[in-house]
Amino acid sequence: MDPRNFTYMFYGYAAAFLILVVYVVFLFRRQQKLSSELDRVRRMLEKNG
Amino acid sequence: MSPFLRATLTIAAKDLRSEFRTKEAFNASLSFSVVILVLFSFAFDPTSEQMQAISGGLLWLVFSFASALSLNRSFARELQNDCLDALVSAPIPVAAIFLGKALANYFLLILVEITALAVFALFYDTHFAAQLWPILLVIALGTWGMTVIGTTFSALTVNLRMREVMLPTLVYPMLVPALMAAMTLTTDLMNGIPLGGDNLLWLRVLTGFDFIYTLLAMVFIDIVVVG
Amino acid sequence: MRDRIMYVLATLSAALLTWNLYKIFMILPDEKNQGAIYRIVYMHVPSIFTGFTGFFVALAASALYLITKDLKYDAFAAAVTEVSLAFASIVLATGMIWGRIIWGIWWAWDARLTTMLVCWLIYFGYVMLRRAIDEPTQRARLSAVVSVFGCVDIMIVYKSIEWWRTQHPAPVLSVRDGGGMGPGMESPIYWNWLAFMCLASILVMVRMRQESISREIDSLRRMAHAY
Repeated sequence: MDPRNFTYMFYGYAAAFLILVVYVVFLFRRQQKLSSELDRVRRMLEKNG
Repeated sequence: MSPFLRATLTIAAKDLRSEFRTKEAFNASLSFSVVILVLFSFAFDPTSEQMQAISGGLLWLVFSFASALSLNRSFARELQNDCLDALVSAPIPVAAIFLGKALANYFLLILVEITALAVFALFYDTHFAAQLWPILLVIALGTWGMTVIGTTFSALTVNLRMREVMLPTLVYPMLVPALMAAMTLTTDLMNGIPLGGDNLLWLRVLTGFDFIYTLLAMVFIDIVVVG
Repeated sequence: MRDRIMYVLATLSAALLTWNLYKIFMILPDEKNQGAIYRIVYMHVPSIFTGFTGFFVALAASALYLITKDLKYDAFAAAVTEVSLAFASIVLATGMIWGRIIWGIWWAWDARLTTMLVCWLIYFGYVMLRRAIDEPTQRARLSAVVSVFGCVDIMIVYKSIEWWRTQHPAPVLSVRDGGGMGPGMESPIYWNWLAFMCLASILVMVRMRQESISREIDSLRRMAHAY
């Protein structure tokens, strides 16, 4: 492969995949937060109802 | 006169009357725009040639900041004593309320802008006189675009917790095509390039923007205000 | 059922991406002027295709919500917009890195770049707006209106860039003007688009599941309040 501008090509691909990974982590964290919230509300309902 | 038009004018008259009793929004936007015009003189050398090249852009920055001040309050001021609910339950179309408010805002903004334009001409040695009417036409069209978008989003964000934050985040990106066209046209006109040729394209963008968003706002305002 | 679809899509997109990356790095020849960096196009262009497909789908879903008032469409629109915003970020990031080498600057303020930035800002405003409203039907209604307004705005901006001078490379794909890329160099763009679309679909499905969970939480809370 042509060595010219190879580093910046690498940065480009890294940046693209990094953004995807960051978004997936963000989704994952929200999933966790929602699940724990759902559990909490369910337990609260069971206790009261 | 058709009932719709009469309702529109009644709302506009009501808004203007209550505004001119306090002159709250008017004074705020006028003093704000004069202050910005003064501040610009520190950012750029006001006597240089460069000033001519960016004058249109500066002028529209002043206009768009000043407009935010008065447009923000357009619907929010009806929240006190549930005036908004009373307005919506009045036997007139919501589009008439919207159009009336937009006309009142438009009138106020044009007043502020004419004053700011005079101040601008005095302080910055710009040449409006040669192309006064085309410049006024561009101001009229550009301001209508800002008014329609600003009033629509003022209605949209009226019940939000973070109204003051949300409004500029939504409004300024939407205004990009109108502001871009108005800035380019104003700069050209101030540099003595008459309307025509390439400029007409920008005039078309501006007119198209006004037309499309007036139409969209009239169609969607019912959904925004009532649901 | 839905899980199985997600696994199939994940396998498909992983396989496609691996095969494409192999082809892009190992088989394709270098471009004679740009060196290795031209390969960024294989991330940049498929991302923008995916992003814009998503924004149009979101427009359709928002319109469907306004017609049917079914919150299902609102959840779909929200999920698609958020995922498309992620792909729009990839477009901006890869484009800036490419521009740093080819143009010598990170951001050229070229018309096409500005359009993309405006687009990003508008949909960022959409996502922010959704976070600022708690009541589900109000959130659905207002964000659907913003989606429609924003999409129209982007079309106006996109049209007006054709009249502005641009230094962005002209579209080199054969669908637009009969092909400017060498033989075999264009197809990875489309294959990557397919891979990205599969990936985007998975993300949208995950995001929609979250919307339905938060709706369930809402209704459980309402039940709790009813006691």
